[in-house]
Amino acid sequence: MADETKPPEGQPPQPPSPPPKPAAKPAAKPAAPKPPAVMVTTPWEDDLTRAVKERFGDGIVESVSYVGQKFWVVTPETAIPLLEYLKREADFDYLVDITAVHYPKREKAFDLVYIVYSFARNERVRIKTQIRDGDEPPTAVPVHLTANWLEREVYDMFGIRFAGHPDLRRILMPDEWEGFPLRKEYGIVQQDNRWVRENLEIESAQ
Amino acid sequence: MADATFLDSTELVLNMGPQHPSTHGVLRVILKLDGEKVLGADCVIGYLHRGVEKIGENRTYQMFAPYVDRMDYVASVSNGLGYCLAVEKLLNVEAPPRAQAVRVILTELNRIASHLLWLGTHALDIGAMTPVFYCLREREYALNIFEKYCGARLTTHAFRIGGLQYETYDGFEEDCRAFCDMFLPRVDEYEELLTGNRIWIDRLRNVGILNIEDCKAFGVTGPVLRAAGAKWDLRKAQPYSGYEQYDFEIPIGENGDTYDRYLVRMEEMRQACRIIRQAVDKLPSGPIMGKVPKVMKPPVGEAYVSIEAPKGELGYFIVSDGSTQPYRLRVRPPSFVNLQALDRMCRGGLVADVVAIIGTLDIVLGEIDR
Amino acid sequence: MIKGMGKLLRSIFLVDLLQGMWVTFRTQHPKNIVTEQYPAERPKVAERYRGAPRLNINPENGETLCISCNLCALACPENLIVVTSERNEQTRRKELITFTYDTSRCMFCGLCEDACPVDALELTQDFELASYSREGAIWDRQMLEEGPRPTKYLA
Repeated sequence: MADETKPPEGQPPQPPSPPPKPAAKPAAKPAAPKPPAVMVTTPWEDDLTRAVKERFGDGIVESVSYVGQKFWVVTPETAIPLLEYLKREADFDYLVDITAVHYPKREKAFDLVYIVYSFARNERVRIKTQIRDGDEPPTAVPVHLTANWLEREVYDMFGIRFAGHPDLRRILMPDEWEGFPLRKEYGIVQQDNRWVRENLEIESAQ
Repeated sequence: MADATFLDSTELVLNMGPQHPSTHGVLRVILKLDGEKVLGADCVIGYLHRGVEKIGENRTYQMFAPYVDRMDYVASVSNGLGYCLAVEKLLNVEAPPRAQAVRVILTELNRIASHLLWLGTHALDIGAMTPVFYCLREREYALNIFEKYCGARLTTHAFRIGGLQYETYDGFEEDCRAFCDMFLPRVDEYEELLTGNRIWIDRLRNVGILNIEDCKAFGVTGPVLRAAGAKWDLRKAQPYSGYEQYDFEIPIGENGDTYDRYLVRMEEMRQACRIIRQAVDKLPSGPIMGKVPKVMKPPVGEAYVSIEAPKGELGYFIVSDGSTQPYRLRVRPPSFVNLQALDRMCRGGLVADVVAIIGTLDIVLGEIDR
Repeated sequence: MIKGMGKLLRSIFLVDLLQGMWVTFRTQHPKNIVTEQYPAERPKVAERYRGAPRLNINPENGETLCISCNLCALACPENLIVVTSERNEQTRRKELITFTYDTSRCMFCGLCEDACPVDALELTQDFELASYSREGAIWDRQMLEEGPRPTKYLA
């Protein structure tokens, strides 16, 4: 630290008085314009999205981009046919990732996110779809083999069951574990006490 | 049938790991064997699961940066780079040119360090004892540069969101140049030990072949994909952190077997040296920290940013709800996705080949289990 | 024929063996020795090494430099720093009472020393942090100010 010539700007200035709590800090400057509470997206129009819209019609709810990254919001039943279409017709032959986001307050509690990439086009798009808790979206394994483990992980962490998945088991957590850790209601220090007692023979892993 | 025992069947189920020395951590592979032939492999993972993604949702953006080092602990600098780039994308800031160049230098040094550890342990698995000592000796020089730069050797926490925390130390450029000068002849030395070695060739050639179609189907990236013949590297395809300024080649293989992957990684180390030299030569001066707010509250939105980590495509998908903590933080680990292809690569091979294949995938369990 | 003779001579005069031994002897040179004799010889760590924490005191009057602003505790990802302070009515400043640092959970990321506005908290070059009990890993203010006492090994 002593040999630093220039203090980086990330450092807070010297506070002579007790600094406010971090939660109170932003409130100290109410004059600043509040950033909008929704994602400010820009519409995405090109040949690809036109072709996809023509093919799937109402299945494509939105086709927008955010910070230069394009994505479609689609209905749950459109997601897999769209993946297949993209793979066949548009060279999107590499499924990068499948993941989910939990919004417990929403009626459709989960966002399912597919990220695909095309080697030929050097382009990456996301496909987002909203599903209810307990819905069983169809699996993507017949289209992309890599979906196997990725969907297993989504099931393990969120409890989303994929219909038609060849081998839907937990992958990172122990098989008998109860609860799905990445759901918002799952606390950060929460654990399956019964499993810990039975398998580790200790009262608590904390 | 009361008499039906496992002796009646030609199939044998063999557990490999989680304490097997050549599964590189706590990977457990359940092998189905017919004699010495592998009929199938099922990976049991999760022994090192620490809930990194959950921790990320409960820490502020700055606080989470040290945790990403603990995923792929062999290439912690690359992890940090990917995370910083992802948050910078959400905040819509960019690191200043000097910070970007230093980031490139350290990331490439880290790529060399990671590949050296891979080479040493992989050779040790195959039965070549000498390279591991040589590799760890050279890796030490790279780690010393990290230590001098940021004060830690393995879990470096070298970068901050928006740029760098530390200015380079006096003699940083000389150290990097000296490392390159020292290192390039040493790569030739390793190649002398291994490339033409008959045992090495016999153990590796035509083992664990994964062709380009399979690679794409399994989402395999990194040196494994390049060994199959795909000239694809994120540093070229979607340059980040100023990689477009540097001149380097993407080495590719032909057959996609274990031997090709070895050659690709060896050449990658040379190319990494080339990038370091260029970056050191034209290291710009200027500030090292961009304009980032003290309290980071990215606007509501989401971004996926990926980099070419030593193991493949390392991606971060971050959803922000406008607060100081990420709403959802997803890591796309290259090792996790690459490991899925193990079953395909092992089938029809021998048990001893499984060791070679796991070694050549260059997996790090800290990243697979997160 | 000549080739065969050469091979024979090589084996008679132990050329290969001597070549191999030369490699061994060459690496005996002190310049090429990379092994460190750790307890006997203390390794030199880098100036910026992030090791044991220290709470700096003013060398002139022995008062702590800490202004108990609590920023380190807020910056710490593991929440392992606890600072308590009291307001001195005469000087109208906060005075540090206790400072607890749990090294057992620390991952030495350096965020606390980055956050410190007066360079009071610092991660030093000491790296010997082992203790015989878990309680020994929780450092109080006195220990932080004195720094760890590295074990002395009898030669």
